[in-house]
Amino acid sequence: MDTIISYLNNMFATLPKSDQMLKLKQDLLASMEEKYYELKMDGKSENEAVGIVISEFGNIDELTSELGIMPEVEEEWSPMLADDEVEGFMAAKRKSGLWIGIGVALVLTGVALLIFITTSFEIGMLGGRFSEDAANMFGLIAMLLFIVPAIAMFIYSGMKLEKYKYLKSEFTLPYHLKAYVQQKQEAFASTYTLSLIMGVCLCVVSPAAIFVGSAFSEAAASLGVVVLLEIVAVAVFLFVYYGNIKDSFSILLQTGDYSKAKKEEDRVIGGVAAIIWPLATCIFLISGLVFQQWHINWIVFPITAILFGMFSGAYNIFKSKGRS
Amino acid sequence: MISSDVIRGYNDTLILYMLMDGESYGYEISKKIRTLSEEKYIMKETTLYSAFTRLEKNGYIVSFYKEETFGKRRTYYRITPAGLAYYREKCEEWQVTQEVVNKFIKEL
Repeated sequence: MDTIISYLNNMFATLPKSDQMLKLKQDLLASMEEKYYELKMDGKSENEAVGIVISEFGNIDELTSELGIMPEVEEEWSPMLADDEVEGFMAAKRKSGLWIGIGVALVLTGVALLIFITTSFEIGMLGGRFSEDAANMFGLIAMLLFIVPAIAMFIYSGMKLEKYKYLKSEFTLPYHLKAYVQQKQEAFASTYTLSLIMGVCLCVVSPAAIFVGSAFSEAAASLGVVVLLEIVAVAVFLFVYYGNIKDSFSILLQTGDYSKAKKEEDRVIGGVAAIIWPLATCIFLISGLVFQQWHINWIVFPITAILFGMFSGAYNIFKSKGRS
Repeated sequence: MISSDVIRGYNDTLILYMLMDGESYGYEISKKIRTLSEEKYIMKETTLYSAFTRLEKNGYIVSFYKEETFGKRRTYYRITPAGLAYYREKCEEWQVTQEVVNKFIKEL
């Protein structure tokens, strides 16, 4: 009889616990109980009786559709991930992180090269054979030579991940794969922390190049900016590459930034970031190229970072308040 | 054994017929259907109770509690006049259905 009770409990486990449901469950149990005892009286064994009662139970969906209710857990249809999908996604994400990381580093190197060439002209390193316009043009061409392949890399990595776009919406990770990804995530945690520490240290140290440079001359300060950009390029590469690997785990496990509630917030914050960061870069380039403010204009980036951090922090607090 | 697909449209009719002899409860009805059909049709538990839910919602039957011996409480069902009318309707429908399907049946 216990088997029948636990069978029925299982059947009702995912259904809402309304009064109507409880009554229905009790009626079903009474009916099954009576059938069970009658079968036993007819001389059926325990196993036979339980088997017959359960085989004549039917399909719970019949009841739920009649009552117009859906099971609580499976509200939306979500695809189940397979082993090779998970493996493929992690590999693709890692690769795309590598390409984006290199791409961003190339863009920064391009900008650094532009500053380097124009500064070289100003201090007469190019021997005065070129006009200022020509020097600026060389600088711009050099910059573009770095930026164009970077853009190609961005597009390429985006295409690599296109296949896995559906992971942005609902999906289910089977238990054995969940355990596997969790294990990978744990193994990766210390590497990620190390990369984060290195990246942050590089960023903190990078302005020192400008201070050192400005101690000598204005031109040396400009060269300091070149060094700063290169240090930042390395730091950004670390953030992007290792960040992508970490994200691949978080996306699959749907934790942290990739939990269901977070996905919505990220859309807004991501939208703001898409505007604010290119804007900061524009200000940086214009103030440098047009107004020659290389010695101070790098401050645009930390200021943007702080403002953006404030915004997303405030947005999250506001959002979670609205939800509670 | 009849498959549940074939008889689906007439489960309600079967239950209403059983209730015409007087009020009854779930297990008794399913047992009577089984014996009357000579074990050729066994109504599944979920089919029976989803039919009760549907019939009650449509006002064809009413349910109430009745105390049994040993202090057990059972849900009983009784047919309503609307239920009786619906039963007649279904009987007519079956006559027509039977006539139509019979036209396509031949001994081979």
